[in-house]
Amino acid sequence: MTPENRRREASPAPGSADPLLTRRAALRGLVGFLLALAFWFGFSRAYEKTLAFGSGALTNLFESPDVTRLEARDGEILLDRRDFPPRSARPGLSGPDIHFNFVLLVALFALDPRPLRGAHVARFLAAAAVLWLIHVIALVFQVHSVYVTSLGAWSAANYGRVARNFWAAGWHFYLIAGRFAAPFALWWLFGRREEETVLEKPRRRTKGRRSKG
Amino acid sequence: MSEASVEARRRSVGFLLRFVALLVVFYFIVASPPVNDAVIVPFTAGIASVSGKILNSLGEKAEVSGTEIRSSSFGVNIENGCNGVETGLLFGAAVLAFPARWSRRLLGLLLGFLAIQALNLFRVITLFWIGLHRPALFNSSHTVIWQSVVVLFGVLLFLLWASRERRLSAAPSPTVRDRPRKG
Repeated sequence: MTPENRRREASPAPGSADPLLTRRAALRGLVGFLLALAFWFGFSRAYEKTLAFGSGALTNLFESPDVTRLEARDGEILLDRRDFPPRSARPGLSGPDIHFNFVLLVALFALDPRPLRGAHVARFLAAAAVLWLIHVIALVFQVHSVYVTSLGAWSAANYGRVARNFWAAGWHFYLIAGRFAAPFALWWLFGRREEETVLEKPRRRTKGRRSKG
Repeated sequence: MSEASVEARRRSVGFLLRFVALLVVFYFIVASPPVNDAVIVPFTAGIASVSGKILNSLGEKAEVSGTEIRSSSFGVNIENGCNGVETGLLFGAAVLAFPARWSRRLLGLLLGFLAIQALNLFRVITLFWIGLHRPALFNSSHTVIWQSVVVLFGVLLFLLWASRERRLSAAPSPTVRDRPRKG
């Protein structure tokens, strides 16, 4: 890193306290991305069980009778209903399509000059909790998009045009835009603290040392 | 909390609201059947065509039909979500939501979209190669790794552009004395 780059990382942006993207920040993001990938591959199956539980409970809240059952199995979330014929196939919903964006959230939080300090980790955990809630709601939309579009005559008999568009478009929006935008929006909201940045950066500049990332 | 940080927070939340609103508008535009049929599908077919040519030049025998790339033992269909448009939407919404001069926004949009598409082209080619030669790795490479890389690239491009934009906006206008001399 050149002295000019060090100066840019250490000083606040003119007219603003927003952090700048520097080579070091990008490197931290890359390391965070790789660590998050390893974590994701190790724990995604367990995570899917929590999603299946949360989405199943949320779906059941608005059903009468509560017939939907979700079960996480081998990277898929099996959609079952108590009123499905016993021998019919159960739809399998892709888990990674819903929650791979956790990796993005970690990579973005890792851009911070000191990603492991307590306050930053606490904000990351808060953002991750909101992301879990988004995943639960996305899975509810996916379940209902199956109900409204994939069950033939049953779908047509039980859902009107507005309901069909609402559930199917909601799930499609998540697939095309929402799942990519959610980590960025959460990081923007939780991961950047302007007032802290203002206070910290001049201190590091006066020391004249490279910041530890 | 100081007045400056309250103001910064207000601007930050304002950016986020504009970003989300633009993203929703963009989504409805690209998801509408006329735009999808007239723009997105031909654009995706163009990606498939260019990818097919590059794969053939690399010695893979790939055939392209519409948005599909096939060989004797493997085939992929490039769908929405795999054509780089979704990252382009994210990048575009962020750039347009950020306070800047329109000329710089448009230049940022153009260069950013081209960069995202270049990376996405590389992604399509490598995914086809992985599917052909390392099929066991295809699913995780497709859903998790490459998708995350392309979106992260789009976000980092935006941050790079926004950082540069802030510097340019805050820099004083050069006077005759400040300008570099030739020779």
